[in-house]
Amino acid sequence: MSGSLAASGLSVRYETPHGSVQALRHVDIEAHPGEVIGIVGESGCGKSTLVTALANLLPANACIDGSIRYNGVDLTKLDAHRQRLLRGDEIALVGQDPMTAFNPVLTIGDQLVDFQHHRKDLSRAQKRARIAAMLGRVGIADAERRMQSYPHELSGGMRQRVAIAAALLTDPGLLIADEPTTALDVTMEAQIIHLLRELRREYNGIIIVVSHHLGVIAELCDRVYVMYAGEVVEGGEVDAIFHDPRHPYTQALLACDPARFHDRLDRLPTIPGSLPSLTQPPPGCVYAPRCDRAFAPCGSIAPPLTRLTACHAARCHAVTP
Amino acid sequence: MPCRPLPRGDAMSPLLAVEDLSVSFVRGSLLDRLINPFPLPGFNVVDGVTLSLMPAETLGLVGESGSGKTTLARTILGLIRAAAGRIVFEGREVATPSDFRAMRRRSAMMFQDPVASLSPRLRVGTLLTEPQVIQGLPMPDRRAAAKALLALVGLPASFVDRFPHELSGGQARRVGVARALAMKPHLLLADEPTAGLDVSVQGDVLNLIGELKRELGFAAMIVTHNLAMIRHVSDRLAIMYLGRLVETGPTQEVFSAPLHPYTATLIRSEPFPDPRRRSHNPAVTGEIPSVFRRPAGCEFHTRCPLVQSRCKTEAPVYRPMGAGRMVRCHFPLQTGGQEREAVLRASANQRGN
Ligand SMILES: Nc1ncnc2c1ncn2[C@@H]1O[C@H](COP(=O)(O)OP(=O)(O)OP(=O)(O)O)[C@@H](O)[C@H]1O
Ligand SMILES: Nc1ncnc2c1ncn2[C@@H]1O[C@H](COP(=O)(O)OP(=O)(O)O)[C@@H](O)[C@H]1O
Ligand code: SF4
Ligand code: SF4
Ligand SMILES: [Mg+2]
Ligand SMILES: [Mg+2]
Repeated sequence: MSGSLAASGLSVRYETPHGSVQALRHVDIEAHPGEVIGIVGESGCGKSTLVTALANLLPANACIDGSIRYNGVDLTKLDAHRQRLLRGDEIALVGQDPMTAFNPVLTIGDQLVDFQHHRKDLSRAQKRARIAAMLGRVGIADAERRMQSYPHELSGGMRQRVAIAAALLTDPGLLIADEPTTALDVTMEAQIIHLLRELRREYNGIIIVVSHHLGVIAELCDRVYVMYAGEVVEGGEVDAIFHDPRHPYTQALLACDPARFHDRLDRLPTIPGSLPSLTQPPPGCVYAPRCDRAFAPCGSIAPPLTRLTACHAARCHAVTP
Repeated sequence: MPCRPLPRGDAMSPLLAVEDLSVSFVRGSLLDRLINPFPLPGFNVVDGVTLSLMPAETLGLVGESGSGKTTLARTILGLIRAAAGRIVFEGREVATPSDFRAMRRRSAMMFQDPVASLSPRLRVGTLLTEPQVIQGLPMPDRRAAAKALLALVGLPASFVDRFPHELSGGQARRVGVARALAMKPHLLLADEPTAGLDVSVQGDVLNLIGELKRELGFAAMIVTHNLAMIRHVSDRLAIMYLGRLVETGPTQEVFSAPLHPYTATLIRSEPFPDPRRRSHNPAVTGEIPSVFRRPAGCEFHTRCPLVQSRCKTEAPVYRPMGAGRMVRCHFPLQTGGQEREAVLRASANQRGN
């Protein structure tokens, strides 16, 4: 079963001894079956918080506000038991470090059988057959032998493939990959990007890819949300985000990527200043302290989300449709 | 430029020359070795590396994880013992432990993980001045010296009292740069100086190293697997695969016309931040083999899109090709576009079968 996902007015606070961290503020995103959605932004901007909220895996010190509707059901209103069921059946998360996803003392095959615990209809042999087929699909040759391996016997790239296979074994309607290639070398990264792209052809659910790497987002996604300091500051089709970015932060972020410059630069472009504190976010626009286009209202009035086209929107006073 | 003695020799002789350097690690546990009656063959994690670095030059050492970059950098500084080869620094061979100590006084290393390499219990002020104190340099006012170093790398003086875990990733790198430069080195070895940093912060750290290089005139070796970054900050590149150099040359030339198929593969694997220029298939399939199971013949033959039968049996030699360039391949790519086309086609075919 796969359906649409829509988060609206989503906010997450982490309560800490040093005050409450506003990790996510009034976030609106949507995703439809068959789409690959990208979430991009600098470290600490709230990408992982957003996807852990979507997967219902926030830590105990988190307080959530707003709604996350999946298939018409508000996930934030479900009781713990139904949340767990949904996580096993419908929503799968692939993390950045494929090592931590596995138990080091069990073989890959045993763990992948456990991943299918919700499939009471299948025998152990049937589960193992599904695993072998899925490992083949993620490009692992010699699946039977690999199932006897322990996690540490696999390379990082292979562990990430197994993690993706594990996620797909649950037939999720929503597959979330948080920095799936960050821990990998460039040649492995290219292979995982290729794998995710192949998979989407036969997979009808939603894929959400989180990355701080613009190249990965450009390669994979249909639509992109750009995050800054806990907010989604711009969202739109991948082509619009890369070729017609409207928010000053999106423009600055793209301009900083050294991969865009063919000729040697003597100085790499940077965004002066640093991320604001999320314990005391600036009043007005969160980007105002670093924005070279800030004007009168920016310091005091939070900009509304301005719709530019049917699916392109930016949160900035200077942007007009 | 402030007045500073030129390194020994004239500007045309290298600051650092490494000749045929090899490093091997013993594999397996002690128990393994006791119960295994047959001695294990030697495993060279770094194998016959020859390279040089001119004064004030920046060399980028590029390779995938496990290719031996960190091991090479640490061996150059004498932190790991070489199994074979020669290291010449400022015109003098570095062989004995005291030679290495003398070399380390004039060089600095920035480690891969800055926070882990800074002792968690020491405050930034102490960390910054520790190297000079250890070297027995006179320092009447440690706090003032630390503040001057912080100013050099653009951090507020109040940071002297912070602990490493209270710094952001970018700030920790800046402290790492300050600590490395405290000794006014002639040579800086920076291992993945920007790994894990966002592009804007990465730009900051590299601009800082660049400015200080221009001001202080040291040479740098930057170890990384980030091609997009090294393209802008290095004069020359050395590409490493399974502990061996496979190509060296001026950075711009290596990027515009790579000679070794592996270099071409790396360049083509970089995802490009433009959805209108998506790649259609990965440049290379398969994984980097373990150094402990180095393929026979050319070590890249298990993944090379241009492999021929000769490559599987005969190891190519590392040979000069054109001005200032070296390559280790039987069938180097020519500078024309045709061969590169062939690489693309070959890797496409490889996927198709
Ligand atoms: N002390 C050691 N004992 C045994 N093997 C080692 C030791 N240190 C490194 N190795 C092995 O030597 C090889 C090269 O390691 P090295 O750390 O130099 O790689 P690298 O190129 O710096 O990789 P990365 O990009 O991941 O930092 C690897 O196969 C590694 O596992
Ligand atoms: N469990 C937690 N408790 C307190 N603060 C947290 C917790 N997890 C994340 N944060 C804070 O929330 C903010 C957003 O973090 P995160 O979602 O991990 O960002 P990203 O994935 O974009 O790097 C950061 O300031 C981070 O330090
Ligand atoms: S609202 Fe103002 S400060 Fe914020 S991004 Fe737009 S112009 Fe800049
Ligand atoms: S020697 Fe052969 S296998 Fe090795 S890089 Fe050259 S063409 Fe490829
Ligand atoms: Mg994260
Ligand atoms: Mg290393």
